[in-house]
Amino acid sequence: MKFLKLFVVAKKAGTVTRKYPFEEPLITEEFRGEIKIDPEKCIGCGACTLICPPNALTMRDEGNVRLIRYFVGRCIFCGMCAEVCPTNAIAITKEFELATLDTDDLLRDLLHKRVKCRICGRPFLTTKLIKYANKDIPGSDNYADVCPECRSKLSIKNILKYRGDLDV
Amino acid sequence: MKNNDVKTLAKGSDKAVDMVLKLLKEKLSKYNVRISRAVANNLIVDVSRRHLRDVAKIVHNELGAYVRTCVGCDERNKNGCFAVYYIFGLDDYGVNVIVRTLAPANDVKVPSIADIAPGADWCELEFRDLLGIDVTGRPVYRLILPEDWPDDLHPLRKDVPYGVRPPPVKREGVTLTELESPGIPVGPYHPALHEPEYFELYVEGETIIDVRYRGFHIHRGIEKLGESKLTYKQIPFIAERICGICGFCHSTCYVMAVEKAAKIEVPERAEFIRAMVLEIERIHSHLLWLGVACHLLGYDAGFMHTWRIREAIMKLAEYLTGSRKTYGINIIGGVRKDINKEKIQNVLRTLNYIEREVKELIDVMLSVPEVKRRLTGTGILTKGEARKLSVVGPVARASGLNRDVRKDYPYLAYKYVSFKVPVYTEGDNLSRTLVRVEEIFESISIIRQLLDRLPGGDIKVEKYEIESDKVSTAAVEAPRGEDIHFLITGKGRPYRWKVRAPTYQNIPALRPMLREQLLADAPITIASIDPCFSCTDRVIIIEIRNGKIVNAKRINIVRLSRKR
Repeated sequence: MKFLKLFVVAKKAGTVTRKYPFEEPLITEEFRGEIKIDPEKCIGCGACTLICPPNALTMRDEGNVRLIRYFVGRCIFCGMCAEVCPTNAIAITKEFELATLDTDDLLRDLLHKRVKCRICGRPFLTTKLIKYANKDIPGSDNYADVCPECRSKLSIKNILKYRGDLDV
Repeated sequence: MKNNDVKTLAKGSDKAVDMVLKLLKEKLSKYNVRISRAVANNLIVDVSRRHLRDVAKIVHNELGAYVRTCVGCDERNKNGCFAVYYIFGLDDYGVNVIVRTLAPANDVKVPSIADIAPGADWCELEFRDLLGIDVTGRPVYRLILPEDWPDDLHPLRKDVPYGVRPPPVKREGVTLTELESPGIPVGPYHPALHEPEYFELYVEGETIIDVRYRGFHIHRGIEKLGESKLTYKQIPFIAERICGICGFCHSTCYVMAVEKAAKIEVPERAEFIRAMVLEIERIHSHLLWLGVACHLLGYDAGFMHTWRIREAIMKLAEYLTGSRKTYGINIIGGVRKDINKEKIQNVLRTLNYIEREVKELIDVMLSVPEVKRRLTGTGILTKGEARKLSVVGPVARASGLNRDVRKDYPYLAYKYVSFKVPVYTEGDNLSRTLVRVEEIFESISIIRQLLDRLPGGDIKVEKYEIESDKVSTAAVEAPRGEDIHFLITGKGRPYRWKVRAPTYQNIPALRPMLREQLLADAPITIASIDPCFSCTDRVIIIEIRNGKIVNAKRINIVRLSRKR
């Protein structure tokens, strides 16, 4: 008759289910949910889009604009992006109630303005990224607004000038 | 063979590898073989196809090695051949003997070793399906590819692009058996485990006389994806999604294989954290299984209460890693999340609660006469059969085989803790249950010891380089048994990545277990190996279209459903 002891176990446990939507959900303080990108802090470097395992974060350049897109539908909530972000612009929230009837609700877009190259006039990096680089690397403001292609041409020119055979 | 020398040997150490090397040179001197050391505890034996069967006979029968798995690999762009790697594990030494044989591209066949080592039965059919390496000297049939897949398209060959979707081929329905007795289908969706599988039980009256299994319904192409699309750093996250219950085992296994191949020294603290999370996963998996077993036996009160207790461990996992499942803390070189004093206190508190509650509940559960009677003496797997099929995990331990990867091939922080490996000799459903129950308490004790000895320091190394063409293996004792990942490194991503989940090795053991049993005991016996079909089915490129299993059998299901 030992199995009747289950009544004791059940009595002790009591009711464990919660009236969830009306009560607090059962998540701990360490829970990883949807990410939030702070548009003020984000410099549009794209580090998060490179590390993102399921490619939920993507980056696209079009004309003068760089688009950082976060698609929650693909996100696996690993939080790798928050770890690599150089400016701590990405915060992991506890938001998990993300169900929706419209896929567009799952897209979060962030637009950045791109800088035009001083020499050839083609847009390349974002304005904020160049500001960020100038702050960290002293003296970089001389060449930071030149695109990599023009920069290599420029440095070859400089070397030739130094060697004295510019006419080539 | 088990002399004193072997008993005192540190398993998997360099000394052990040297001993096996000497032993192999002695035993295989007659044949033209080349034996070389690979990374960590792996030895590679290169043998021609002519001598493959002789070498397998010696390694499997004379040295007493278990078949861990075999892997086919398309190496045509390296040496113009297809390679087959048979991985044998010498449990006494903790050393893997990888027998490699090459089949030139114009004569793609290898002799079968399934009659010598029945544990290799499935993996031979697997590389036949996926790489088109023919196996001679055994009955062959399609195991993995769906029936409507074209014959000459082998998805894991390097010249087949990722994501190819050929039009379905019409084919005659393949009958799995010649038996005339009525076949009772269990599946294509397991009623209690909620996973796709398909068993066909042939009965005479109430007694099962034969069993056929048709699985691999949920291939998700993970291996092909890893070899053609992802990078080394992305794979831990997809490896974690191979299984919904023992995902952390898979990601640990993958990162360990890469770390071995690249010779990365992982900080000790990371090894402790990984081992701890693995044990947490074992506790939650075993509690889940206990609940499901109670549910199958009609004891739903036991099911509810086991899962009530399990909820505490799920919350603990979330508290430590940030997610209830798919923890996402494993990266190559270490872990991402550290633990502090406050967390340790919380873990200890939860463990005390779980230990107390589980003890009380198990006591009640096993005293229910119906539960006990239905578990005792059903689904017996003898030690001989278990050895022959190289079964793993609790199934092996319940049949008297003392096998546990944590002891036999020491990894992570398990060498610092002492624990008992429960072994029962009866081989019935009750012993499989008791092995799992004891393991819950062992795991609790392991976590306590790990927390007690947790060293300080870093939790990851970030600078490393991964060389190409290294052959490496890693094994983890998952809740269901030995989980093994085989890896050949390539540029930026693995050249070949093969996953062998424990259930893959255990399902063939269901045939001897179910034969001569009453039909009513079949569900609990099938569940007693704790099958995980997602793990088993992981390999191939494209998912099978729903319902197209075996035409003839499909009619069976329809007919039976209509009768009801």
